[in-house]
Amino acid sequence: MPGILSELRVLELSHRPPGAYCAKLLADQGADTIKVEPPGWGDQSRHEPPFIGDEPHPDRSSTFLAFNTNKRGITLDVEQAEGRNLLLRLAESADIIVESYPPGKLAELGMDYATLAAASPRLILVSITYFGQEGPYANYQGDDLVAQAMGGYLYAVTGSASMPPMGTALQQMEITAARNGAVAVMAALLRREQTDQGTHIDVSTMEAAVSTPSGLIHPYTYTGRNPHRGGSDGNVMDGMHLPTLDGEVTLTTAGTGGRPMQAWAEILEEPGLLDPRFATRGGRMEHWEDLHSLVAPKLAQWNNLDLMRETMARGLVIGLVQTPRQVVESPHLEERGFFVELDHPETGPLQYPGSGFFIDGENAMNTARPAPRLGEHNAEILDGQLGLSLRELGLLRAARVI
Amino acid sequence: MAEKGVLDGVRVLTLEQVHALPWGTGFLADLGADVIRVESPDHLQDRKAGPFPGGQAGEEWWNEAGNLVYYGTRNKRSLCMDVTNPRGKEVFLKLVEKTDIVTDNFRPGTMQRFGFDHDSLSAINPRIITLSSTAYGYTGPWRRAGSRARTVDAACGLSFLTGYEGGPSMRASNNYMDHSVGNNVAYALLLALYQRKRTGKGMRIDLTMLETGVSAVGPAILEAQQGMTRDRLGCAHWWKAPHNVYPARGDDRWIVIVVSSDEEWARLKITMGSPGWADEDRFATALSRWHNRHALDELVAEWTSQHDDLELAQLLQQQSITAGSCMTAQNLVNDPHLQARDYMWEFSNPQAPEVGPRVFAGRPFRDPGNTMSITKVAGLGQDNSEVLSDLAGLSSSDIEGLEAEGVIFGSPRPEESRP
Repeated sequence: MPGILSELRVLELSHRPPGAYCAKLLADQGADTIKVEPPGWGDQSRHEPPFIGDEPHPDRSSTFLAFNTNKRGITLDVEQAEGRNLLLRLAESADIIVESYPPGKLAELGMDYATLAAASPRLILVSITYFGQEGPYANYQGDDLVAQAMGGYLYAVTGSASMPPMGTALQQMEITAARNGAVAVMAALLRREQTDQGTHIDVSTMEAAVSTPSGLIHPYTYTGRNPHRGGSDGNVMDGMHLPTLDGEVTLTTAGTGGRPMQAWAEILEEPGLLDPRFATRGGRMEHWEDLHSLVAPKLAQWNNLDLMRETMARGLVIGLVQTPRQVVESPHLEERGFFVELDHPETGPLQYPGSGFFIDGENAMNTARPAPRLGEHNAEILDGQLGLSLRELGLLRAARVI
Repeated sequence: MAEKGVLDGVRVLTLEQVHALPWGTGFLADLGADVIRVESPDHLQDRKAGPFPGGQAGEEWWNEAGNLVYYGTRNKRSLCMDVTNPRGKEVFLKLVEKTDIVTDNFRPGTMQRFGFDHDSLSAINPRIITLSSTAYGYTGPWRRAGSRARTVDAACGLSFLTGYEGGPSMRASNNYMDHSVGNNVAYALLLALYQRKRTGKGMRIDLTMLETGVSAVGPAILEAQQGMTRDRLGCAHWWKAPHNVYPARGDDRWIVIVVSSDEEWARLKITMGSPGWADEDRFATALSRWHNRHALDELVAEWTSQHDDLELAQLLQQQSITAGSCMTAQNLVNDPHLQARDYMWEFSNPQAPEVGPRVFAGRPFRDPGNTMSITKVAGLGQDNSEVLSDLAGLSSSDIEGLEAEGVIFGSPRPEESRP
């Protein structure tokens, strides 16, 4: 099945993860996506450890590989006039440009929205930065941790009340900004079909972080309460991670018909859970250490997958705390056909996560190609698409434009 | 519903509870779609969830409640109808004829039991797009399992990777995955609308929280296939130091500082007042800073703890050093940057006048072509008559009849207790 966005051309000028992931979301739905990287070094994330096979190599960073599926890649030195010329020519045929330069940089390159739109009124330009195009922090520097801090996530969401703030793993705020960017792009595409006009979208990673724990600022405005981290502290039945025979699990009191301790006493064969001290949430929190000493040894006798099967059959709700390896080997995901295999000359074939949805039973993830090697498609795009001669390509290479 | 929003003319019927799906359909509502939330008169868990103003559920508690219902119903219409009642089912199917999208977040099997599975709806309206948002999907051995957002943070690998340096795994979040799924729901639905313009055909979307979560931990998924594991590092980093959260002056105040290069380190040293320790060999290079990061963190913390975090973050950023304060809800509501960007949306609900104005997190993107705001928060069953007369063609006596027969409701069933 050709991807839903297969008629569209995307140009990515993004050296930061939020823009790269946003372009990936479009590429994974079939958009013909060209990633433009600086010659020699490429996208910074090419150099971020860890590397597949542990060997540092610009084509082996797991972050780069995961965030750049289904794109073609070229190198262009936009600081050189010829590089900018070529970039502008590519921009003319693009439906969507995703960029994450510091605000103002595009104007310096002669590529601000007004200039681009004059040549291509249908162009949708998406700027994904840490703080947006305008406002007192627009020129601040950011990364995922800063977004977690300034978005309120660090103070209030993850971590323990008695410990310093602690964030969630793996660039989740950057990914959230990217997902919001993709939604905004789709809305702009639908708008363009009505008006034939493009637009300039301004996405802020800090704001994406604020919008994520929506329970933060809205209740504050009428209760005056500042939510604080530590929601899983001492919460044996609703938040803590507890060891099993081959991993960890987190329990819930859901699906128990309002009688959680009876249901759990039964499945764990532990009548001690019926102690009236554990009958209410408050009691369970107050006596959590005693509760833990009853629950933990029983759970430690279970295998993860058996526990999942048995609780599911009884309508109880748990979460296996799976390692990435357990996720990769998950019989459930295998039966659904969630992972897609992409073969890469440097890493060999690897299983990549799909898009998270199936359309009419088909995995919606495009399987055209793995992440591009640095400059992999220079000739194909500059020669094939822009019509440069081999001689001209040689000249550009010598001048370090590509 | 923005006036003449881009989705003006698109209608969504949504059987939704709690957070993930309402968050997703909320995007469509903000973009101008007519999103009709079909609410059950039973359970009402969203409308019972606090916090309530003043800590107390009032007379009309179902319209006064907390975050879930305010986010879940904003810019939508509410039809409170028992779809398990044969008359309710009949009305629902009538509405499907005039609908573009039907979404639900029941466990697999429930929509089929109601007679609302994709094939049944598609027989009535071949252009219908259906989306079921579930924890684990319609196929696979876990399809019948229930979830909470945090149980899926766990199942997708995110929580295993999250934790303090050297410590155990920890819950990554309470409801991050709800939002992640909501964002993916909105993306999938807009893709579907885009596709339908080309093909004229509807489609069935099976969207899962687990898979949305796994798609957000891609690097670790690739590493795992090579037998590689990731250490938990808290707020520390694979190769950067200083890169952590540091105490600031005051009670439970913190600042994040991220140094990515020798130049940034040099600027930080100057900003710290060039203390003697900062010039020691053990902090001279990226590698030595990283190897000695625990000692380095302690020394940086001694300095930060003498300063106000908001002022210090500003000072550091002015010196081109990446930093940010750990904002509380109060900081965010009063933040000059968010205010200058009109990020927050204020709304007073005429349905619950005692509640007063409330502030919402806005959308993290601005598009002059697609502006958004809050124009409404839907009370329970507030739009029953309007929806049923305009879309199902029912007369006012039909509607009164449905009310009398216990098919539609303007308030919860009497046996529902005040939360």
